[in-house]
Amino acid sequence: MNTQNFHFVTAIGLFVITLVLIAGYYYFQSRRSSPSSWEELLAKLTWIDRNSIAEVALDLVDESGQPKVTDDAGSLDPSLVWKLTGGLKGLEALERNSEVLIDLAFYVQQWYPEALVTAERLRLDARELKWHVERLKGAAQKGNLQVSFPFYAQRAVVSYYRMTRRVLSLYEACNFSMLADLQKAL
Amino acid sequence: MHLSGIDLLFWLLGFLENLGLLVVLVYRRRAERFPFFTALITLNVIRTIVLYLVLRYSTRDGYFYSYWSLAILDTILQLCVAYEIASRVFRPLDVWAHDLRSSFVWLLGLSLLVSFGLTWLASPPARTWVQSLSTKGDLFAAALQSELFVAMMALSIHARLPWRTHVAKIAQGLGAYSLLSVLIETGHSYFGVGRELPAFIVLSHVRMAAYLVCVNYWIMSLWRKERPVRTMTPEMREKMFTLQMLLEYDLEDLRSRKEL
Repeated sequence: MNTQNFHFVTAIGLFVITLVLIAGYYYFQSRRSSPSSWEELLAKLTWIDRNSIAEVALDLVDESGQPKVTDDAGSLDPSLVWKLTGGLKGLEALERNSEVLIDLAFYVQQWYPEALVTAERLRLDARELKWHVERLKGAAQKGNLQVSFPFYAQRAVVSYYRMTRRVLSLYEACNFSMLADLQKAL
Repeated sequence: MHLSGIDLLFWLLGFLENLGLLVVLVYRRRAERFPFFTALITLNVIRTIVLYLVLRYSTRDGYFYSYWSLAILDTILQLCVAYEIASRVFRPLDVWAHDLRSSFVWLLGLSLLVSFGLTWLASPPARTWVQSLSTKGDLFAAALQSELFVAMMALSIHARLPWRTHVAKIAQGLGAYSLLSVLIETGHSYFGVGRELPAFIVLSHVRMAAYLVCVNYWIMSLWRKERPVRTMTPEMREKMFTLQMLLEYDLEDLRSRKEL
């Protein structure tokens, strides 16, 4: 085998192994992340005090999730934001739950393909939430967490709050019988 | 060109199975939803007939040019099928998923780059430049397709986009076949092409056997019905539409706040 052929065969070997590993990884991930039942899906939600979330979010938006235009918007005390959200760990729980919220929209989408629009919006929201949490993690590494926390945390909570409203609206729109259970969980 | 008994058997089976799949696509009304895939299978049926007739009644050159012209058309149609699958998965409501467009374009660019790299590394022992070009072209197409199918699968699972049953089955079959084709084309690039080479004959039989397995898989999968979906009532649609409008507004507002 000459050098060029050796390089070629090695490159193909690496190429095929990489593709098989990627395909296998995502295949098993999809099987693992697709719960067989609604109960299983709901059980994946981490318990979060919805009153605290609502209090932080409603400082910036109204109950329907629309931004507040009044002067008192964004007047919540920074120390209270930390306490109500549960710090960085609390936000990480919101991040995990945001994934479950997308799965909840996906659950509806299996019967109603039109629900895709909501699922897509939720994905965008989840990305925003992640973006805010990442900023805070970066700030924590640099020792600036206390300064950055109120701004990013509150916006992360707003994203999460909106996500919950969207999922509830979706279940309501589709007349799903699980709405009551979902309202309790969220 | 001399054909052995096993060659003729594979040819006959390939023709009959492609014909069977075409009947399933038309009879079960899958052809309307998958026009490119149906065109690809139709081409395979026609190709078998054309090549058989050319082999019997035409010259060696005639066979050569017919074979490679149809092979190029086959590759183009396979890429069209990849597009068809992508459009079914990533734009189920006739709009490409907003947040996935850039990832998809990025993955497409990377796939092209890797495929070019692999093709550049290949140095098939060919007698003519046409043979060398076609061997490299086959390797490029197989590598690109296998990458695209894996990229589509990964991206859709990552974004939790649903794969309707029939789309998934077509993609799985083509993905597996493309991956095997990469290995076969590697063999061609390494050993060379030509019916006088035993390795070429073995690789051709492996390819045909793999293709027959895929066709059987598609026949069984496309014959079965997909899980039925419900359609939203006008009232539900209206609620969803209102929700969508609100979300658009909220998102823009939140983004503008983030930028401040």
